[in-house]
Amino acid sequence: MEEQETIVGRGSRDGAALFRQWFESLDEAARRDERAAYVFVMGSMNEILKAFDMHITLPEINSLQLAVRHVAHEYLQEAEDYGYSPDICGYVKADVAVQLRGGVHPMGQIPKPCLAVYTNACNTYIKWAEIWERIHHIPIFTLDVPGHRQLGVHTVPGDQSFEADRAYVEVQIRELISVCEEITGRAFDIDRLRETMHYANQMSASWARLLELNRSTPSVFNALTDGTVYLGVANGFRGTAEGAKYFQDLVEEMEYKVANGIGTITNEQHRLAFVGVPCYPIFRRFNELFAEWGGTFVSSTYLWFASGGTQKGYQYDLTDPIQSLSEGVLLNVRDAMNSMFDQTTVIEGFINEFGLDGVIYHPIKSCRTVSTGLADSRRQLMENTGISSLFIESDMMDRRVVSEAQLKNRIDAFFEGLISRKQQLTATGGT
Amino acid sequence: MTRSSGVFEEWQGCSLEDILGICRDTVEEGDYSAVQRWREGGGRVVGHFQVYFPSELVHAAGMLPVKVCGAPVETRHADSRFGSYLCSILGTSLELALNGTLELDMFVSHPICDAARNLAAIWSRNFDYPCQILYLPQNANSKGSADYLRGEYARLLAELEEIAGRRVETADLARSIDLFNESRALVRRIYEVRRETPWKINAEDSYSLVAIGGFLPVEEHLDLLRTVVPMIEQNERKPEDRIRVVFEGAFCEQPPLDLIRMLGRTCYVVDDDFLIGLRWITEDVETEGDALGNLARAYLEQSSYSPVQHDNRKPKEKMLLDRVRRSKADAVILTAAKMCEPGLEEQVAYVSALDDEMIPYFISEFEQNMSSFGGLELQLETFSENLLFD
Amino acid sequence: MAYAAGVDVGSTQTKAVVVDETRRIVARGLVDTGANVIQAAENAYLEALSRGALTEEEVEYVVGTGYGRYRVTFGNEQVTEISCHGRGAVHLFPATRTVVDMGGQDTKAIRVSGEGEIVDFCMNDKCAAGTGRFLGAASAALDIPLDDLGNTALASRRPVKISTTCTVFAESEVLAWLGKGKKVEDILWGVHQSIAARSAGLMRRVGITEQVTFTGGVSRNPAMIAALEEKLETALNVSDDCHYIGALGAALFALDRILASRAPLSKGKAS
Repeated sequence: MEEQETIVGRGSRDGAALFRQWFESLDEAARRDERAAYVFVMGSMNEILKAFDMHITLPEINSLQLAVRHVAHEYLQEAEDYGYSPDICGYVKADVAVQLRGGVHPMGQIPKPCLAVYTNACNTYIKWAEIWERIHHIPIFTLDVPGHRQLGVHTVPGDQSFEADRAYVEVQIRELISVCEEITGRAFDIDRLRETMHYANQMSASWARLLELNRSTPSVFNALTDGTVYLGVANGFRGTAEGAKYFQDLVEEMEYKVANGIGTITNEQHRLAFVGVPCYPIFRRFNELFAEWGGTFVSSTYLWFASGGTQKGYQYDLTDPIQSLSEGVLLNVRDAMNSMFDQTTVIEGFINEFGLDGVIYHPIKSCRTVSTGLADSRRQLMENTGISSLFIESDMMDRRVVSEAQLKNRIDAFFEGLISRKQQLTATGGT
Repeated sequence: MTRSSGVFEEWQGCSLEDILGICRDTVEEGDYSAVQRWREGGGRVVGHFQVYFPSELVHAAGMLPVKVCGAPVETRHADSRFGSYLCSILGTSLELALNGTLELDMFVSHPICDAARNLAAIWSRNFDYPCQILYLPQNANSKGSADYLRGEYARLLAELEEIAGRRVETADLARSIDLFNESRALVRRIYEVRRETPWKINAEDSYSLVAIGGFLPVEEHLDLLRTVVPMIEQNERKPEDRIRVVFEGAFCEQPPLDLIRMLGRTCYVVDDDFLIGLRWITEDVETEGDALGNLARAYLEQSSYSPVQHDNRKPKEKMLLDRVRRSKADAVILTAAKMCEPGLEEQVAYVSALDDEMIPYFISEFEQNMSSFGGLELQLETFSENLLFD
Repeated sequence: MAYAAGVDVGSTQTKAVVVDETRRIVARGLVDTGANVIQAAENAYLEALSRGALTEEEVEYVVGTGYGRYRVTFGNEQVTEISCHGRGAVHLFPATRTVVDMGGQDTKAIRVSGEGEIVDFCMNDKCAAGTGRFLGAASAALDIPLDDLGNTALASRRPVKISTTCTVFAESEVLAWLGKGKKVEDILWGVHQSIAARSAGLMRRVGITEQVTFTGGVSRNPAMIAALEEKLETALNVSDDCHYIGALGAALFALDRILASRAPLSKGKAS
């Protein structure tokens, strides 16, 4: 019993503490007038930046925190007054307002940037960095990671085409290292890189294991709510000893819960997969709308792409760090992109592996990258499998396009249909 | 393949006014019957989505490159493939394929924006022919970009060879580059005429002449341009007292021709970014040596700009100011397609640069599908009157 | 004889239906919803009771539906109008596989199984362009009563193309066409076609399988029936009771509960 009290819930407690610690350290850095590298969740390049001991901030996370704290609308309005359209990404606008306010953020002061590093996994990253370039006159670095060229066709290490792409990524990583040397005034130390990559390896392995553990019934964590806490640590602490340790502990906690049949707080009756980005303006309430019916999220594509595509647990080869980093970045960022554009195949597999009862598609106004293809993916999934699914649109930032009543109506109708289907199956002796 | 007769010949022997009328109608009605005739003659068609595409590769393989850039059509089928928050061009482009207007043997797109990067997957799920991504480099400033792009072109060419069922020889590529060089040079000449003597050709006709090249065999487009450009140069129309404007914001989705016509009634549109992808390469591509390498270098080094290509050497606001100065424009019509994120984001930087330079501008949004713009015309006339009577 | 009732609290009107054990409609009630939603639900219900000469005691189970379903304070249970429209449509037209419900506030496309279960559904989220409200805007702009819009539109010979998808701008676009000398009927038919096109798009999302049943308040508009049939290239099932289908579905769910409670092994509500 004592063991249970120390282990169960530890991930949430420690995760929240680490998250606060990260923002506090940023706040202190900002007050010392130190700058940070601005990076993104898909291809954060923490391995390199941490090898130079740079502070990193993830503006996507800064922005979503504003929504979770119910102040996003003030920031959005400010950016719109400045000239940004209501129809563009809410993360960008909230961040523009943070920049206009000189870094003032409810979680603490955000340091000014010394550099922005971004991949092409989201085109808005590029436009966003151009904004900082204009405001702060800083170098911005595109790490171009060519994605898959065709649906379902995935080249692998050793293929000529893969190696050509990898070589291109490697050239750019070397160029990024030069930029970092210039900015920090420090020489690149390949052993420091080995160290950050070693910790990133540990985190990736734990992350893959963690996601796999949720196949158990009852599920051991809520992919939507708990998962988002884990993502915060995964992004802020990738390539660090604390980050690696946190996820090892978390795996231990979840293995304990599996072994002892301890589930989440939801009375689990319907196991759901979530496709898209969470509804941060009503983050807890959104989950409740499902939990009230006994619906719990056992898996989520968000945990794939927002972890930078590390869900398969790719392990770097530390004997040849830069070569291996370029390979890993290419594979991971591709997996991140693929989980946005082509998640159907994986979800089809999850129906059995995770015992899914339904799939919830949540496209949002703010993010065309994630949302544009979802109606068509869903059409295909339903054609292929006949699984129950729900398509609800809202936003990750802008409460003006989040209607709780509308959402509730659809979610209720979804469960009414799901339950009647299950009853019908029981009545006809199906499974 | 070679054809004994052309697929678009109705203009031959006509006067300038009639030729322009035929081109306008073809473009405005979204009439792809020339493509249909090409197919009926046994030809294969490769559709490529906005913005830039190396048409030379498709041409060298004996196939017809067709620019897929939507049309003012109702998205009856395509609507069910998309969510609510989207620009029009994605839906109308898919609609053209779903409703059978555009029959393709291959579809290629480049991830120009968050929405469009989903197209390849959506297209793949809806059609049996190959649907591919051409990954143009998004880091134009790396030492590795040109080599990478050369390799990417080689990869695409191999796929094209497979579809065409024939090998592409060095000489084929050189010939294709030559032809496209000449057509781009003639289009540049039209733009020069517009900058120097905009009364000789209005924006909608210039637009139609370029747009039609998006789906005609380049040889036929060349025939047309070789005939029509001297006629335009000799056109005797008289200048009128109108403001000179640059139209910016149509790098991807195109405004309806009617809107361009309306602009032409009020102003001289002396430069623009309409269909910039077809005009992306700004100088002749080197024809000697490694053709794929030359094309790759031209994309990176001898090219225009758009909100969907980042290049440290080309801040977009600086590029716009250059365009304004080069064309001696009085003002800018700064637009974005509705729901077009890159376009809307760029507007903010453009506004700030134009404010700094005290260049008047008029901001608006448009949509491919719009059919009435009385409100827009009223505002534009007022804007123009303000400048004229200043 | 036991009776079951359904009360559908819509944005514009509130409908009540009472059915008997044989699933026959025995009474209907209809009132404008207005600002007092609780009162409207009660009034519609009482009106139905009085028309059926029934007392509250005779009705064993009441299901509330519609956007105001939680305001049906006397109801035993709430079911979404999506489930109710599907159920009601299949009851009236058993071969129904697709339902299009067009109300004042929104339009829904619902795909149903032969048993009346909801297989999939889709609603217009963001704007009123495909809904009855769009008609309301046109009606106001042209100063023609809502009920006359359909018949006026059907006289059209040369419809105009309405391109706006915004209800706010619908009015100005309608006025712009008037300014260009277009006939009222041609503008109106254009408005109907525009709404029908949007609704058809919505329906394609869930897949259009025949037969298609048209429900909701707007299903009483003959021009909208014609415009939808033209877009969908299929005939629509329409009934005088289409307006009451949500309430009917709710009443049928209520009857299920009564019958289930009498069955030896009650399944009850799963949640």
